[in-house]
Amino acid sequence: MDDRVRAPIFSTLRRKSPFEGMLEHMNKVKKCIEVLKEGLKDYYEGNFEKFSEIAKKVSKLEHEADLIKGNIRAHLPRSILMPVDKGQFQWLLREQDAILDHAENLAEMLEMRHTKIPKELKPLFIEHMEKVMETVNAMEEAMDRFKILLETSFVTKERDMVKEKIHEVHRKEWEADQIKYKLTREIYKMEKKLKPMDEYHLLKIADWVDDIADHAENVADLIRAMIAR
Amino acid sequence: MDPITIAILVGAGALGFYMAWNIGSNDVANSMATAVGAKAITFKQAVLIAGVLNFVGAVFVGSHVTETIKGNIVDPSLIHNNFHILLGFFSSLLAASIFVMLSTWKEMPVSTTHSVIGALVGFGLVESGASCINWAKLGEVASSWVLSPIVGAILAFLVFRGIVKLIFEKEKPAEAARIVGPGIIGLTIILISSSLLMKTNLGRMLNINLYEALIIAVACGITGMVVSMIALRKIKMKGNDEYDVVERMFRKLQIVTSCYVAFSHGANDVANAIGPVAGIFSIATTGILDPKAEVPTFLLAIGGLGIAMGCMTWGHKVMRTLGYRITSLTNTRGFSVDFGAATTVLIASKLGLPISTSHTVVGAVIGVGLARGLDAVDLSVIKKIIVSWLLTVPAAAGLSAVIFLILRGIVGG
Repeated sequence: MDDRVRAPIFSTLRRKSPFEGMLEHMNKVKKCIEVLKEGLKDYYEGNFEKFSEIAKKVSKLEHEADLIKGNIRAHLPRSILMPVDKGQFQWLLREQDAILDHAENLAEMLEMRHTKIPKELKPLFIEHMEKVMETVNAMEEAMDRFKILLETSFVTKERDMVKEKIHEVHRKEWEADQIKYKLTREIYKMEKKLKPMDEYHLLKIADWVDDIADHAENVADLIRAMIAR
Repeated sequence: MDPITIAILVGAGALGFYMAWNIGSNDVANSMATAVGAKAITFKQAVLIAGVLNFVGAVFVGSHVTETIKGNIVDPSLIHNNFHILLGFFSSLLAASIFVMLSTWKEMPVSTTHSVIGALVGFGLVESGASCINWAKLGEVASSWVLSPIVGAILAFLVFRGIVKLIFEKEKPAEAARIVGPGIIGLTIILISSSLLMKTNLGRMLNINLYEALIIAVACGITGMVVSMIALRKIKMKGNDEYDVVERMFRKLQIVTSCYVAFSHGANDVANAIGPVAGIFSIATTGILDPKAEVPTFLLAIGGLGIAMGCMTWGHKVMRTLGYRITSLTNTRGFSVDFGAATTVLIASKLGLPISTSHTVVGAVIGVGLARGLDAVDLSVIKKIIVSWLLTVPAAAGLSAVIFLILRGIVGG
């Protein structure tokens, strides 16, 4: 009868916290975004060889995060009681994963065609990319705060701090959009000088990078929905 | 006394001790696992606390529930053959022991309480039909099985929400905890000491009346409050995470609530082992089963000793296994679970209701989960518990009936 126990208490608490898994997934997002930032800098500067290495890293991180996501979903049956809406939680995970999907897509697409960025546009491209990364960073901070909010079981003070971070995400995303519009205008202005395919690719790059900020904003919105009273 | 009676008496004593040992090794671990999982106490401390306080609870508060099992489920006045009652109690004890052993082997969340009650009903039914079962009392006991996890859940919910409102919501949570924490500890000690003194053998022995008991309890409570206030003063602010400091304080306070759990557990669960033995003893010594006759203290002591032995021999192993698996409870959560569950169990003991401690603890965990205090609570356990209720009582009843019929056939009479 070694090690055998009648333990209803264990059946109640045997599940690992789904939030831990989500934070693990978030760590992959964090790493991936850091790597991508370096990669984009290289690409914009024309160091395409370095960029190729980094594109591989992004793809690897995306795959690792997928495994984590699958694992969380597999261990979340209907009978689990969570302090937040489970549907919203699943949705948040999907949006968080979409950030990685778009990062991977961006890296792959850039890898397919190495387009030289015109000197005049370089500063704007870098500014845009930095703002997008700031949006993601603000979202990461919102998530960290959200974890503390859970630990205190939804205290008003902590809720306000999470909300503040969410506002910051919105603000940064809006700013990124503005830079993208400016950038797009500048690209159109150079229509005559650029080859059509280069023109097209530059426009697409601006869009692809901006997609990442959009999904970071979606994550923030879902955090907001989960902490609603 | 004839030799057969003596043999039954000795056998019953041994079985009662075995049951108590089983309760000590398994059920105690179940109810103390929250404190170990929350790292409030170590395995060794848990074993020591459980051993000593289960014994105290069993000996001084355990008589109410024991009397219920001994004489209130099966109406002895309708069974005219005293020897059959004797055999019946023996079969019940044997059936319950076998059933508990089987369910431990199969890792089913079966309660010892339910096994014993089921076994008693089984023997009563085959001996003189449905009329000798005290259905009103049985209904009361059965409804307490449903109510106890719910009450445990409500109390734990309220305690946890209270901690959030009174401590976490405050500008300086750590300062608030220095006052609120000892307040709850004071209340805990008042509950323990009043349950020790009011309407118990100890109260009578010391010749204390109700008011005196109350005054003593309040005095103990205030002392406990002051002592825990001093103990908490030593916890300094490290870093700037106030919530961490609060958790560290509740780690200290949880030592008191784990004592509370162990104490209440002993008070309620000793009856499962000793109730039938007390019935047999009563018939063997006086010739009749008087439901109102007091349960001798030495029997409760044997039960308490069995539980304590169970903790010390095998309980530490079980507790280690569970403690490693249950790690998602922080100290404020563990505290709420302990307080909610132990208070429910203690009230039930005072009302003479044999309830399941482990199921009440589960109820309390769910209560904290409903208060948005836990990341993931697996509610499928509710289904498992209900199935175990529906299976345990008939299965234990059937087993006990069969054993009774066999014994009656062999011994005759």
